[in-house]
Amino acid sequence: MANRLDRWADPPLLVLASLADEPKHGYAIIRDVSETMGVRLTAGTLYAVIARLEAVGLIEPLASADRRRPYQITAAGRAALAEQSARMGQVASLAQARLGDGYGWAGA
Amino acid sequence: MSRTVPAEPGPLASLALMLYPPAWRERYGDEVRALLEEAGSGPATVASLAVRAVPAWVNPPRHLHDRESRMRASVGTVLVAWSVLTGVGAVFVQLTQLQGFRAPGHPLVQWCYLVFDAALAASVLTAAAGGVPLWLQMIRLARQQRRRRELAWLWTAVLVPAGYLALALIALTVVHDPEASGSWWFAGFAILGFGAAGLASAGPAVALKRLAPGGPAVAVAAAAAGLAAATVALAGLASAIAAAGLCLWTTSFAGYHHADLAWVYLLIVAAIAATATISAGRGVRATFAIPAR
Repeated sequence: MANRLDRWADPPLLVLASLADEPKHGYAIIRDVSETMGVRLTAGTLYAVIARLEAVGLIEPLASADRRRPYQITAAGRAALAEQSARMGQVASLAQARLGDGYGWAGA
Repeated sequence: MSRTVPAEPGPLASLALMLYPPAWRERYGDEVRALLEEAGSGPATVASLAVRAVPAWVNPPRHLHDRESRMRASVGTVLVAWSVLTGVGAVFVQLTQLQGFRAPGHPLVQWCYLVFDAALAASVLTAAAGGVPLWLQMIRLARQQRRRRELAWLWTAVLVPAGYLALALIALTVVHDPEASGSWWFAGFAILGFGAAGLASAGPAVALKRLAPGGPAVAVAAAAAGLAAATVALAGLASAIAAAGLCLWTTSFAGYHHADLAWVYLLIVAAIAATATISAGRGVRATFAIPAR
């Protein structure tokens, strides 16, 4: 679809949302985000986000036997995700309400 | 979507990974390779990896930022660049101020001389104040750990300049002929001087890397390196303006020196000053950064 806005999706939020239910390694995050949220994260973007989220303590690495190290969301990460989700929910409700009321060029 | 047989990352993807800082590669390199083996490494992935390497250098994640290592690297880089710039400054003094070149009616050149002198003196004092305590700490460390090679590298900072000055003094005493001590002698001693400055500064820089000292002396040296780099860059700027002014307004200087030389001088000063300033900036930033959790 030509007008999809997912290219402007917030990758840190997508990664936090992906890790909210269970720990995942990099490839599992990419697959989950792609299948459930419809956004394709590249390796460069994913690991830039992982490094930033780890640096600020929103996710943490788990021990791993192989090279595919899994990450889990921290308590601070859950709080940040909940706060951001609530804000996005408000925006979504507002957008749907206004679209439903005929807001925009058609209703002006 | 999933692959049953993992494929090695392509050469371009491996090359893109090499663009990342060593600390980043050490922490995430294996994970990214494992991911590429599963997800593939097409052009979009390679491009994404290459583009994301830039912020990894410019603004490294805090938990990967090795402050002391960064400070040591900056001190070493600034020391070598600063020594060369100071040598270039000495050549500038010899070719302009000591030859009595002035630009009557153009006070800019005279002001530039003053700024150059003051900035260079401040830079030398700052470098000494920040560098000597660290040098002494490394001498102690090398003695305690019986590191003879590192001790030898450290002493180059004293022995090489002393040897150079002794050689120059002997040569001038033996030759003692104003006609003979012309431009070839000057060029020879200038080149030898740059070699001596390079060796004298590279010695402690090598020892700094190998001994990896820590503590307040490194932070003080990194902060001093920032100030020394800024002041020597100011001296370089003043000397470049003075050289351009002399080329424009002083016939005897312009006739004695090719204008091309002033441009070469300007380019050398700008390139080395930029290297010193960028490295010093990163070192100062590391000095005052909040330590990682």
